[in-house]
Amino acid sequence: MKSLQIAATGMAAQQLRVDVISNNIANMSTAAYRPRVAEFSDLMYQQYLTPGTITSQVGTVVPAGIQIGTGVRPSTVSMEITQGALRETGSELDLAIDGAGFFEVTLPSGESAYTRDGKFNRSVDGEMVTMDGYPLADGITIPADARAISVSRDGEVVAYFNDQAAGQAIGALQLVRFVNEKGLEALGDNLFRETAASGTPAQVVAGTEGSGFIRQGFLEQSGVDVVKEISDLIEAQRGYELNSKVITASDEMLAATTRLR
Amino acid sequence: MSNAIYATLARQHGLMQEMQVVSNNLANSSTTGYKTDRAIFAEFLVGSDSGNTSLSMGSLAGHAFEMEQGGLKVTGGQFDVAVQGDGFFSIETPQGPRLTRAGHFQLSADGTLVDMIGNSVLGAGGGPIQIPVEASQISISADGTISADGELIEQIGVVIPDGELMRDSNTYFSAPGGFGNATDFNVVQGALEQSNVSPVLEVARMIEVQRAYEAGQTLLEREDQRIGQVISTIRER
Repeated sequence: MKSLQIAATGMAAQQLRVDVISNNIANMSTAAYRPRVAEFSDLMYQQYLTPGTITSQVGTVVPAGIQIGTGVRPSTVSMEITQGALRETGSELDLAIDGAGFFEVTLPSGESAYTRDGKFNRSVDGEMVTMDGYPLADGITIPADARAISVSRDGEVVAYFNDQAAGQAIGALQLVRFVNEKGLEALGDNLFRETAASGTPAQVVAGTEGSGFIRQGFLEQSGVDVVKEISDLIEAQRGYELNSKVITASDEMLAATTRLR
Repeated sequence: MSNAIYATLARQHGLMQEMQVVSNNLANSSTTGYKTDRAIFAEFLVGSDSGNTSLSMGSLAGHAFEMEQGGLKVTGGQFDVAVQGDGFFSIETPQGPRLTRAGHFQLSADGTLVDMIGNSVLGAGGGPIQIPVEASQISISADGTISADGELIEQIGVVIPDGELMRDSNTYFSAPGGFGNATDFNVVQGALEQSNVSPVLEVARMIEVQRAYEAGQTLLEREDQRIGQVISTIRER
């Protein structure tokens, strides 16, 4: 009885949807989190009677045939490319990207990773590092006696000192763009890694070539729309229930069959 | 054997298949661009033992898609597009061109517009669509014209099949009779067409199928008892 298995694929799909939604809701306060969406597609069809089969000598054909589906499968869980709201924090090392692009950080393995979470700190050596202590790939070291730091919209970092009126440029932050941001591999910790699907990273000056501007003193908030997630959750839950009803009904049909003898 | 049993058996087999169709519809109630399937039963006649009257049986003769518009779900995605009206997006697959209503597209690593499984989406000219890498604002108009930062790029091909459609997996349809350009449609950017499965109708159909199946089984039981009685009555004589 195939309807049992078909309904099981439906339940598995809705379960996955609930998993994705719960992860989105759990990350509703994660800086620069981008919500994920599960997409589904139907499985292959069994051909009982192929459309176009010739039914007579004069050339009449079966118009629609019989094709019976075998269920559903998750086809992709993709990232929604949304701009999260910018929240003012006033902290001079909080940076947000207003538009497309990523900050590039260097992992302890030497590999590059990409993030939109611009919550940076100073390490003991004065280097600009992420919350997990990974340095920015542009290697910006803030002098210990610097009074203030300013980051311009296009990524120029300037340090100000008590004994000097004019600021001193200490480096430039570049943004990285990908052709297909949805193709990036999420590493956790708000980090992403390039894959064959994302395309190669292109370093650009902020505000040029389609990338966004850098805003100092702001953080990008999570892009999760809770109302949407909850309505999706309700839909997924009902979808799960409907599929379980199919299993019950199929089971009762099987019970009717076995009652015969 | 008794004709009543054969006629019921044909019906029971058909109901099992219809149950599969219903469960496939319900399993795909969240599949973007999915179209509801319907099983169509037809009568076929077989000559009965007595010669002059024939016996009518039912069997699954065909299926139909319900092509009515699914609801549009606003996602805001730049490359999420839905067709409103008659028409399909055309996709280049290794098996040849396929049609689909699921417009969850994205860019490949080299900037080609591709669908969820990486097959390229065809433009109105029949070729793949290249989106400039540095474009920041992509807009897709109602007739499918894609522009990047105000510059015209390509038109997404929206086609209608000539003749019947066949289902393929991945919410693809194949059109063995070929297809031509559609005219009566709107392309909506930032939205996806949801499955047009109506859970209420499907559950009602499911109950109907289940009860009809149980009724059939009861009939088979009764028929079995009747034959048993006939045999025992004859033996007693």
